[in-house]
Amino acid sequence: MDKASPWVDPVVEAYKAGIDLTLLRENLRKTPEQRIDALMELQRFAEELRRAGCEAMKKLRGQPR
Amino acid sequence: MTDFPALLGALAGHEVEFILVGGVAATAHGSARLTQDLDVVYRRNPANFRRLTQALAPHSPYLRGAPPGLPFQWDEVTIAHGLNFTLVTALGSIDLLGEIVGGGKYELLLPHTIVLRLFGIDCRALDLAKLIEVKRAAGRPKDLEAIAELEQLLAERAG
Repeated sequence: MDKASPWVDPVVEAYKAGIDLTLLRENLRKTPEQRIDALMELQRFAEELRRAGCEAMKKLRGQPR
Repeated sequence: MTDFPALLGALAGHEVEFILVGGVAATAHGSARLTQDLDVVYRRNPANFRRLTQALAPHSPYLRGAPPGLPFQWDEVTIAHGLNFTLVTALGSIDLLGEIVGGGKYELLLPHTIVLRLFGIDCRALDLAKLIEVKRAAGRPKDLEAIAELEQLLAERAG
């Protein structure tokens, strides 16, 4: 492929329109280590959400209809 | 949850030669997407097989998604006979890749890496341009949105 004119994937270009640049700019202000710390915080939050969702579903199932 | 500092510490503590790729490398470059595991390309030679074995053995590595009780043995012979391993460990999930589509093996990727200081450890990670290139080469539909974000990051840096 000619390096001067790389192939442009229209699907990738379409996705670009929906990307929140403010999040990316905020991340770029952090160090790589701070970015991975934030990822782990997000993982912890996702696990907590899953746990809470499971608990809520269990309660719902236990309720009389 | 994957304990990234502990996993990186285990690898670095045994001087495993590896390159961060995938979602964690993307995070290090500024991606805002969630990833669950650590993807690394490791150098394939007997000395590194030994280091990898020693680094992960204390953390009970096992084939991710496999039924319990398989006669899986984490040792140098297993690594030598395989290539890519998707493992779960006591520290979380790790994918050990002998090579990747669009990038090849460790030695070929090495010129396209940067050194990141993470949790007190110097780690090699694919540079942003190569990360985009290998994701494009992989051709997986699920990567298209990630590629769009990485290209935006590249543009932000250039801008």
